[in-house]
Amino acid sequence: MIGEPLIELRHLQKSFGAQKVLRDVNLEILRGETMVIIGTSGGGKSVILKHCIGLLQPDGGEVIVDGKVISDSRRVDVKTIRKRMGMLFQGAALFDSMNVGENIKFAVREHEKHLTEPDLDRIVAETLHMINLNPDFRFKMPSELSGGMKKRLGLARAIALKPEILLYDEPTTGLDPITSDVINDLIIDMQNKLGATNIVVTHDMVSAYKIADRIAMLLDGRIIFVGTPDETRATTNPYVRQFIKGQRKLLPEAD
Amino acid sequence: MTVSEPGKASESAWVHFLDALGGAFLRLLFLLGEAVASKIAKIGDVVILVLQIARRAPYFFRNPSLTLEQIIRIGVTSLPLILVISFFIGAVAALQAEYQFRGFVPSNYLGTAVCKLVIIESGPVLTALVLAGRVGSAIAAQIGTMKEKEELDAMTVLDLDPLRYLALPRLLSGLVAFPLLVIIADFLSLVGGWIITTLVLNVTTATYVSGLRFLFQGYDVMISLVKAMVFGGIVVIMGYYHGLSAGPGAKGVGQSSMKSVVSSCMLILIVDFLIVYIAY
Repeated sequence: MIGEPLIELRHLQKSFGAQKVLRDVNLEILRGETMVIIGTSGGGKSVILKHCIGLLQPDGGEVIVDGKVISDSRRVDVKTIRKRMGMLFQGAALFDSMNVGENIKFAVREHEKHLTEPDLDRIVAETLHMINLNPDFRFKMPSELSGGMKKRLGLARAIALKPEILLYDEPTTGLDPITSDVINDLIIDMQNKLGATNIVVTHDMVSAYKIADRIAMLLDGRIIFVGTPDETRATTNPYVRQFIKGQRKLLPEAD
Repeated sequence: MTVSEPGKASESAWVHFLDALGGAFLRLLFLLGEAVASKIAKIGDVVILVLQIARRAPYFFRNPSLTLEQIIRIGVTSLPLILVISFFIGAVAALQAEYQFRGFVPSNYLGTAVCKLVIIESGPVLTALVLAGRVGSAIAAQIGTMKEKEELDAMTVLDLDPLRYLALPRLLSGLVAFPLLVIIADFLSLVGGWIITTLVLNVTTATYVSGLRFLFQGYDVMISLVKAMVFGGIVVIMGYYHGLSAGPGAKGVGQSSMKSVVSSCMLILIVDFLIVYIAY
């Protein structure tokens, strides 16, 4: 059920060298919703995600998760907040030296010391079942998997610790439309089964319309639009219209 | 129309020349300063990395298997290379000693020369240089690739501290495996020297062994092992540091590997000098 703000980005600023990626990002993500952030490639969408999970520290502004400012490591233990989050990386970021089962087990084994190996095997089987994969997959190495499989297993690893917040970095990029749809269904499933709050970064509008409760658009380091999928389709904002229609030139404002 | 005086024209040319020279000198000074500052910053980064890993040392007891796995990876898999190289180092040392000594130093001292050379210098230094190429570059490439593929970020997100799970086991295994490999390398070099002196140089085993024992000192072996341990630390830290600083893509990873080998080799030779200077 969608509720009060869980993650707040306030006046977020970030530069890499001379390049100012985030100029003034303000966004609220509500508990239980799926927020999709759209924007052009290289526009800083992934940078926003990395701020939400404490992988990057902002040059200015604040990231507040459940009332705690995680962008200031002196004031809060980021690790405690991070334990409530999971992330699916763009390239899945599976640990190449481990098989699928070990990829899922590794973090669970380290954090839940009381669990026995049979318990861990059960968690692997349950997690694979949640992403609609056969338990026999646990013996495969990441190099033996297709792009879509890797993404699903990246998600399996992220959900094994039952996080409240799931971050997805370009979950459907590089996948065929059918596999993309499988991933979209999984994201919706995660929201329904785990009650997770999802933040998805993508430029795939088919995916965005299907999974989003709200869509936010990032342009020139600022969030220029936030609205439901229906509001997005109907918006008169020329930049949003240009993006969702995939036009090279800016479209005039609709009447 | 005004005509400039010849004296003033040449004076103005001088002023321009000196101005340009001064500008070039200042620019050179600036670039030099920038290069020095960048090197100092890098040294600072390496020191911070070492301290950060050292702070995690107690975690060894929670996952000793990770370190054991790395000791096997570094030690056992490097063994064939070390065996071949150290055997031939001993053999060459014996041949060279015989050639250099011929006519004025008795062959009883062949064993002494091989023993001293191998234990004090070639054992730890050449083993470390070879391992810098084999182990250091592999660590840099692995960490660089993990960084590139966001595996390090994935570990952090899963609250699996990369320094604890990747850097600490590698450092500890370097500190343990290098001395073990140097002991084996020293032994194999002495065997190589023995085979050459007995089979090629017609020196008896008893003469060779008495030469070995003549100036043998436990202190030399201890210093050799201290060197090996320090070199092991250097190779692992340089590999890890350059892996972490790898640029994007295959080119970045390749360069990080190359830099780790170059910096390890330089540091090994510099630190070797310092240890010898202090210890002897």
